[in-house]
Formats: sequence, structure tokens, C-alpha cells
Amino acid sequence: MALTAAVEAPPRAVSARHFARLKLRITANSFRGQPWRIGLFVLGLFFGFCYAAGGFLAAAAPGLAGSPDAALIVAALGGGVIALAWTLLPLLFFGVDETIDPARFALLPLDRRTLVTGLTAAALIGVPAAATLLATAGLVLSAAALGGAGALLVEALGVLLGLLLCVAVSRAVTSAFATMLRSRRMRDLAAVLLAVTAGLVGPLQIAVSRAASDTDWRRLLPVAEVVGWTPFGAPYSAGFDVAAGRAGAAAGKLLVTVAAILLLLWWWSRSLESAMVGAASAGTGKAPAREPGTPVAALFPRALAWVPRNRFGAVLAREVRYWWRDARRRANLITIAVAALFVSAMVNFGSQIWGAPATAGDVSASPGTFTLSMLFVGSLAAATLANQFGYDGTAYAADVTAGVPGRVELGARAAAFSVYVLPLVLAIAVAIGLLVGEPGWIPLAIGTLVATFGCGLACNSLTSVLGAYALPETSNPFALNSGAGMARGFLSLLCLVATVVLASPMLLGALLAGDVWLWLALPVGLLYGAGAAVLGSVVAGDVLERRMPELLIAITPRR
Amino acid sequence: MVLRGLAKRFDHKVAVAGVDLDVPAGSFYGLLGPNGAGKTTTLSMAVGLLRPDHGQAWVLGNDVWADPVAAKRLFGVLPDGVRLFDRLSGAELLAYHGLLRGMDPAVVDQRARELLDVLALADAGRTLVVDYSAGMKKKIGLACALLHAPRLLVLDEPFEAVDPVAAALIRDILQRYVAGGGTVIFSSHVMEVVERLCSHVAILAEGAIKRVGTIDEVRAGRSLEEVFVAVVGGRTATGEELAWL
Repeated sequence: MALTAAVEAPPRAVSARHFARLKLRITANSFRGQPWRIGLFVLGLFFGFCYAAGGFLAAAAPGLAGSPDAALIVAALGGGVIALAWTLLPLLFFGVDETIDPARFALLPLDRRTLVTGLTAAALIGVPAAATLLATAGLVLSAAALGGAGALLVEALGVLLGLLLCVAVSRAVTSAFATMLRSRRMRDLAAVLLAVTAGLVGPLQIAVSRAASDTDWRRLLPVAEVVGWTPFGAPYSAGFDVAAGRAGAAAGKLLVTVAAILLLLWWWSRSLESAMVGAASAGTGKAPAREPGTPVAALFPRALAWVPRNRFGAVLAREVRYWWRDARRRANLITIAVAALFVSAMVNFGSQIWGAPATAGDVSASPGTFTLSMLFVGSLAAATLANQFGYDGTAYAADVTAGVPGRVELGARAAAFSVYVLPLVLAIAVAIGLLVGEPGWIPLAIGTLVATFGCGLACNSLTSVLGAYALPETSNPFALNSGAGMARGFLSLLCLVATVVLASPMLLGALLAGDVWLWLALPVGLLYGAGAAVLGSVVAGDVLERRMPELLIAITPRR
Repeated sequence: MVLRGLAKRFDHKVAVAGVDLDVPAGSFYGLLGPNGAGKTTTLSMAVGLLRPDHGQAWVLGNDVWADPVAAKRLFGVLPDGVRLFDRLSGAELLAYHGLLRGMDPAVVDQRARELLDVLALADAGRTLVVDYSAGMKKKIGLACALLHAPRLLVLDEPFEAVDPVAAALIRDILQRYVAGGGTVIFSSHVMEVVERLCSHVAILAEGAIKRVGTIDEVRAGRSLEEVFVAVVGGRTATGEELAWL
């Protein structure tokens, strides 16, 4: 073979079209062989479309209703929020979307301009961009209704520029922080933040809707005008300036937007190189301290120093460390904690939240509804355990080759989980008891919660053995959602129902036994919960003994 | 270790088609084969990680599938493609494996310290295993397999992605282990390592054993690489393609 000394023809120009096609091809290939992902994608499309359509209507409404002030507020603040979301959310999801990671292009001889245009084009193709465009298109309609053709044109231009601005700001920010974002610790931190956010989505929606119906929105007008001049809100409010007759201001705002876009693109191209070749840092930079004490002592956290050093203790110690150190488990723990708090508040204070604001202390709660809310909290709290082996993945092979008996394994795992969740659950019981204004019900709450939690441990242990599934090995701690949706959702729902059914004797006690139940619930609940948990670990443990290799296959992610 | 008629198929693909193997005690056994030959599947079935469709496996006389508790005490495994519990530090991981096997905590402490020192992992301190390099991960995996002083070591690709210094150390440990009466069976597709270390070798291709015996019997005067290529087939040279290169 002879190495030809010169290239035959000059290389053809690489255009943005190649990047766009690359992104489409990668997205299409990720569905290959896993039809449920297409279903999930379609579902995501559907929800994205619904939200975007909702945004469209919300944006169009003020204009069609003929209120220029409201339109300006919606445009400036709404547009500002969208741009802010584009700035912050990609930071959290950075490790996830591989189609936009510039590091993949580090070895290719592409000049900066090609890269920037190409990556922008790739970013414009996707559900978020399409959803943003759809939602903000409502503003175009609104402007047209208020100001005619001139406003329509300007607003349309503004919406397009706004989309470009969103994309530019998100790429610039992620690129500037790329090296930092690639480190494992940052990703773990991002997982925690995402978990808290996910848990808060429900309460936030309610708070926002309450605020929206209550406050006087005219007070937001000055704020909207200020935001309307910042690059975040400028493109979206320009059309309304034309409608109000302030053509000069509109032109100024468009210029501000264009200048911001150019600035961001320049900043992005400057940091692109460092983003591409920055190495993923592995752990902390400082030299790690020498392991203090003996290896066995290191395995057991200080709080658990009294645990016996046998197989049970070893699995317990490892699980306790893992629930905190593994990003995925920690994220789920936090989400469940926030959700459980929210659910218990909802059931007890439902009338206050949905109806007219009640006077303080005017809460009508009975032991029955209180117990019911505790049932929900307890069963929800145990739900994270439903796929506990899936979190470990193939690492479970260590336990299989060591021949750990099934009962020991499941019992220790349930115990480790309780170390984290039981104090949380008790705190919720006390908090809700105090908020409801009946401190005398706290023993009832604790008893019911412990009973339900114990039943939940039993049910979920069994589910984790029989219905385990593999979690994909990505850095995204929320990738677990891409399991075969329907079947697994059904299984976890079944498990929740079973838990509530098993714990229903506590509810019966609350309804039938009258006042004596208020202090009887605690000892009964504790015994019932402990008994259920032990029995569950025995039953599920025997099932596990027979199924260890099959379980290992079920939780091994497909390459 | 004795394997008789082990077979496994995944959906439509036959991964292992009836493997018979006799690993004599005190031997250094190499399981050679190209990628996808079924080495990992065979070894997984032999140690109780994967349930075979047919066949049986015995370790030192104990049936692995009929009486797993007794059999699992006797061997140590370094599986391939399997994660360790990598959110623990090296010392914590060793302690975990030791306690998991029901060893006395004092013994675990002493042996873990020695292993960490010998394998040059003591400086890693409190770094989590997830942040280890590939060579360090292999070393800590080997340490976990050695901790309970088993009579048989089953290692899947122990030298893959390991630097020469670490590889030399692992070689030395394994040779001392065999000289002291232990048995090692490991899989690899690197000829030089197998030729240097093994007393017996088996060539596995497409799920079946093609050649088996002591290293001299299999080699029969040629180099092991020639025998391997002859047995396994495949292309080893280009013809007139790639003229532009």
C-alpha cells in the first residue's frame, strides 16, 4: 500500500445540515430495538405539545381579550421565564443529552464558525425548541389582535429571535461550565437539585395558581416593563410596543436582542475549545487522606458501630453507605421525601388549599382522615424499595458468588432503608400532628405510619425480587423513567395498593375503636409494622434463594 | 473444577453448546477464545451467576447448582463486565466481601491491610472505587477474590486494560498461589500471557471447545497463535484492498 502524498480534492465544506442530520440519526437510532422508547418519546411529545398548546393559549389570551397591559406582562415575564429556564435547565441535564456535547467533535478539523452554526442547528431540532416556538407563537397572535399587521411582523421576528437567544444562552452557559459539569461530584449535586425540584413541582403549581387568582396583576406592570428591556424579555415584548405605537422602542428592543445573540455566540465560540478538550475530572483534586482505622471499621458508619460484624451487618452497612453515596438512590430518596410530605399535607389540608382561604386553626380533621393520610404517606415512603436490586445492577453478583442467604439480604436491605426513612416518616407524623392542631394524635400517627411502613417494606421486598428491572447505565439519575412504562407502573401501583390493604386494620381501628385507639395505636402499630417487615423478609427471602441468577439477569442493563 | 455438558442459549443465539472441561487441581488453566466465543458465559455458569439450560458443574467435588452454599465457599471469582460496589472505598469494599463470607472481622482486617499494601492500593485511601483507574479496579477485584483464601480462583479477563507493572504484580501473585497448591482458571484472548503462565489450555470458539490439553499438547510444536488462528479461522491479512492507505 502506498500512502498517497496529497489529498485528491479539497475537502468539501461541512454545513449545518450535517449536524442536523447527525442529531436526527442519533435520535432515531436510540429507539432501535426498544419499541417502548418510541412510546415514551411519543408520550413526551404529547405532553410537550399539551404544555406548549397551553402556553400558546395563555400567551394569546390577553391580546385577544384586548388588554394591552396584560399582554405586555405575559410577554415580558413569560418570555423571561422561558429564557431563564433555557439557561438553567440544561445545566442540570448536561450529562444527559449526548447529541450536543461538543467534546465529541474535539478530534475533527472543524473551525469554530462551522461548529457554532452546526451545534445551534442541532439544538434547534428537538422537542424543547419546538415546544418553545409553539408556546411563544401565541404571543404573535396576541400582538396581531392588538396592533394589526405591523405588530404581527415585529412580534414574529421577535419570537424567532427569542428562540435563537434561548438556544444561544443555553449553549454558551453549558459550554462555559462544561469542564466543571463533567465531574462526577457536580453531576451528583445536580441530581440532588433535580430531585428536590421534581418533588416540588406539585406544590409549586398549586402555589402559583393560588397566587395567580389572588394577587392584583396590575402591580406587575412596572416590573414587566423593566424586564421587557432586558435581553430575556426584549424580543417578546417588541411587538406590543408597536401595537402601542412606540415603534422606536420596538426597534431598540430588537437591536438589544440581536446584540445579545451575537455576544452569546461569540462567548460560546471562545469557550468551545476549552469545553471540547477539558478532561473529566475524577473526584477531588486534593490528595485523599489515608484510610483511618481498620477496613472493617471503615465500612460501618459511626452511627452503626453497634451492629454485629456478620453478614447481616455487612449488607446493612453497605446499603446505608449506598443510599447516601449513590446519586440515583439519593435522588429518589429526596424525591420521595418531598412527595410524601406534600401528599400528607394535601390530604389533611385539602379544603384549605383548594377552597377559600380558611382562618387559621379552622381545620376539620377526624382520626379517620388523619389515619388515611398516614396510610398514604407510609406506603409511598416504602415505594422506593420496589426496584432496589436494579440500582445495584451487576454489582449484585458479589452477593451471589458469596452465597448470601436471601433472608439476610432482604432483611438487611430493608433495615438500611429504614435507617433513612423511618426518622423522616416520624418527623412528618409529628409535623402534621402539630399542624392539624391535635398533638394528642401524634402517637396515633406514629403507630399508623410504622405499621404501614412495615407492610410496605414487606410488599416492596417481594416486588423487588419478582419484578426487578435493569436501570440504564447513564449518568442521568432520572433515566429510570425510561423503563417499560406501562407494565412497571402497573406493578408498582399494585404494590402500593397491596400495602394499603395490608395496613387497613389500622384504619379500621381508628374508625371503630373510638378514643381508646388514640393511645392503643402506638404499640399495636409498632408491633404490626415490625411483624409485617420480618415476615415479608422471610417470605421474599425464600423466593430470592431460588431466583438469584434470574434476578441478576433481570437487573443487568443491556449493552 | 469439572464441567459437563454446559449449554446456554439466549433467545435465538446459542452462546454455549455443550462444554466439557476438567480442570486438574494445582493447574494454571487458560481458557482462550475470540470475542463472543462464550468464555464469560461458560465461567458464569460454572460459578453460579448464570443458570445453565443443561449441564452440571462441580468445584472440588461439590455440585455448584445442587449445593451452592458449600461450593461457593471454595472458590473466588473475578467476573468480567460486572461492576463492583464502586461507591465504597477500596478498604470498605474488601471489608464488605470478607464479612459477607462470614469471616472473622480481625482476620478480615489483617488480610485486607496486607492485600492493599501488596497490590499498591493503600495510597488510594478514601477514594471511592468508582474513581479508580481500570488497572486499580482489576486489582481490587482480584483482592476481593483472594480475601477468603479459596482453593480455586476463577478469573475472567484479569489482564484486560491492566498496565504492565500491575500485570507483572498480578502474575507474580497468581504464580505463588498456584505454587502453594491453589488452582487458577482464567479466560483471556491474549496469547503471550497464556503461553507464559498456563500449564493447561482450552480453546473455545462459537460455544464449543475446539482444543484442550496441556500447553505442549495443544501447541504441538507450533506457536500458540498459529494453532489458535488455525482453529478459530478468520482473516489475518488483507489482499489488495486499502490501496489508498
